[in-house]
Amino acid sequence: MNEPKVFLVDDDFIFREVAEVMIKTSGLSTAVTHLENGLEAYNKLLELSETPLELPDVMLLDINMPVMNGWELLEELKMGPSNIRDQVQIHILTSSIAPEDLNLSKTYNFINGYITKPLTDADMEKLIFSLRSARSSSH
Amino acid sequence: MKPAAQIYGGIANLPLPVALINQKLELEECSNTLLELFNLDSARNKPVNLGELVGASSYDLAKLHKRLLDGNISKEYISHVCPKGALKWFKLIAYPIQDGQHYYLHFEDVTQKKLSLDLALQAERIARIGSWEVDLINNSVTWSAMTREIHEVPEHFVPNLDTGLNFYKEGEHRDRIVGVVSEAIEKGSPYDVELIIVTAKGNEKWVRAIGNAEIINGKASRLFGVFQDIDKRKRESLKYQALTDRMRVAVESSNIGIWDYDIVNNGLVWDDNMYKLYQVKKEDFTGVVEAWEGTIHPDDKERSLKAVEDAITGKSKFNTEFRIITSHGTIRHIHGQGKVFRDEQGNPIRMIGANTDVSRIKKVDNRLRQLLNTTEKQNKSLLNFAHIVSHNLRSNSSNLSMLTGMLLEKKDPSKQQRFLEMIRISSERLDETVVQLNEVIKIQTDPDQKFQWVGVKETLSSVLESVNALIAETKPDIQVKIDENLRIYAIKPYVASVFLNLLTNSIKYRKQGQQLKLKINALDAGDHIVISFTDNGKGIDLEKHGAKLFGMYKTFHGNKDARGIGLFISKNQMDAMNAKITVESMEGKGATFQLYFPPHKLNTTHE
Repeated sequence: MNEPKVFLVDDDFIFREVAEVMIKTSGLSTAVTHLENGLEAYNKLLELSETPLELPDVMLLDINMPVMNGWELLEELKMGPSNIRDQVQIHILTSSIAPEDLNLSKTYNFINGYITKPLTDADMEKLIFSLRSARSSSH
Repeated sequence: MKPAAQIYGGIANLPLPVALINQKLELEECSNTLLELFNLDSARNKPVNLGELVGASSYDLAKLHKRLLDGNISKEYISHVCPKGALKWFKLIAYPIQDGQHYYLHFEDVTQKKLSLDLALQAERIARIGSWEVDLINNSVTWSAMTREIHEVPEHFVPNLDTGLNFYKEGEHRDRIVGVVSEAIEKGSPYDVELIIVTAKGNEKWVRAIGNAEIINGKASRLFGVFQDIDKRKRESLKYQALTDRMRVAVESSNIGIWDYDIVNNGLVWDDNMYKLYQVKKEDFTGVVEAWEGTIHPDDKERSLKAVEDAITGKSKFNTEFRIITSHGTIRHIHGQGKVFRDEQGNPIRMIGANTDVSRIKKVDNRLRQLLNTTEKQNKSLLNFAHIVSHNLRSNSSNLSMLTGMLLEKKDPSKQQRFLEMIRISSERLDETVVQLNEVIKIQTDPDQKFQWVGVKETLSSVLESVNALIAETKPDIQVKIDENLRIYAIKPYVASVFLNLLTNSIKYRKQGQQLKLKINALDAGDHIVISFTDNGKGIDLEKHGAKLFGMYKTFHGNKDARGIGLFISKNQMDAMNAKITVESMEGKGATFQLYFPPHKLNTTHE
């Protein structure tokens, strides 16, 4: 089995650095790509949808970001190529504790998880489990 | 000498319905008047006996016959069916003649009397009226059947004056009846009272007792009267009375005025509340509709009169609000409601309605609307506030918790130093966030911020002065066109803060490799003063970001030092001064921010 690829979309470099360490030490993946906002992520995903094998397995997506926020990215993905929605496990990773945000996330059927910061070891275990079960069912 | 009877034709010619019969009730002689009474022809079928004369009512006759044989004067009522089928009643009186063999009979037609008596009895039953009589000399009491029925006593019940009075309910009712009866006996004064009795079966009942006394030689010998069961009616009327009382209290205490408009005669009747409502003295009111019309606020007059007219023509219900000017000159908001009454042909004859003073409700309503408005604004701010708490505070605090966790667990020993560095950055950010939050809260809660006349140019100059280091570094071209004397009525520190924010924004978001040109103009447009900041910088895509431009923590350039709070603070400060901030911009084409300050008089609410 190939090593899973992880997209980390967050405007806060500190969070990205810390999260990367956690992703690596938890054993989820060592292939972590940093993206600063929704637009960067969108461009990258669109590019990779041409070569679907290179699409990430997991995308951890922040909501409050400049330029293009998480919701705006999800709206774009809704209209975009279906292989992105099918192949990439999208987990929202936000500091928001507003119930509206959680409710809004439920309106997207291609979202696989909703994690509230801080990111913990327990969250990592869940992510790994979620990824494994998705992989075993599709392979 | 012939007997007189023979001279004048005997019984036959008597102008009275009389007959002579023997002991077998056979008719010996009878007057023609009698035959006429029974519609019989005197010449031909002259009846032979009494039975034939009156018809086959053998029972009555048998009774009569028996009594006649006893030799007494005898009275009997007999019924007779006429040849035409009508039922007649006769009173028959028989007088025995000395010979002991014969009787004179006298007939009297009592059909009319009998009918009216029957009617009266029936009426008594229906009206539940009984009668009674007290013989004060023998102290005996007679009750009619209905009187007994009302008292719910058996048919053979024999009352006396005391037992009769004891049926009245103990307390005020019995005291009252004893009082009026005593007075009737002593002075002969009649009475007519409505009281409660407790029947033999223990039921309480309202009755009407009417009594009178017969006075002989200054002394009452007899009391008589009628007695009516009025329980149903009385209870209904008491209920109605209670309802009316309650309604009156309600109407009196509620400031609802009732009016009654006689459409035919153009007469208007007001109740006391109406006079209070309109602050008009009763004696000053002419009672015509024009008097009412005169009180209506000129702006509402046409509409209100139209509403009355529409109600009368049946177009719509009368249910409207209008203002009046009372005689004291105060304006009141009145809610009027009314109903039109029509005759059988559907012509409007009368209109009755109610007026309520809704001024206070109106005032409270307006106040609520204002509060709601303010609350809505504050809610928006609070929502933004919640976002910042959620986003900036939580993102930094979660960073801190993750970083310290890593340090403690020694997750990546090679990065320990880096983690410490990031902890420092995160705590600095946290601190900065708290400072900014404090700024925001201060704007919304600071009661010390005073409105005053602020010189626009003077304030701008001191702001430019405060950032001269930044200006020296970036060398922008700043052109200021503001009248030296232009002043706005505002909160000075807020104005300075807004200016500073717009100025630093222009510098921050200037295009790379191009000198920043910033024009700052001010215009007195009469109903407001507009101050504008126009730059040639990066601009903003308003299609995309316009809606949330002034929200908290929105940054649009991906700028590292953008915190996204500046415009939010400016917006709040402008709100606090009843002023407005707007933006015009296109991405890559610079931006113009405009500040609208209201003229002084609109801003006095904060003084």
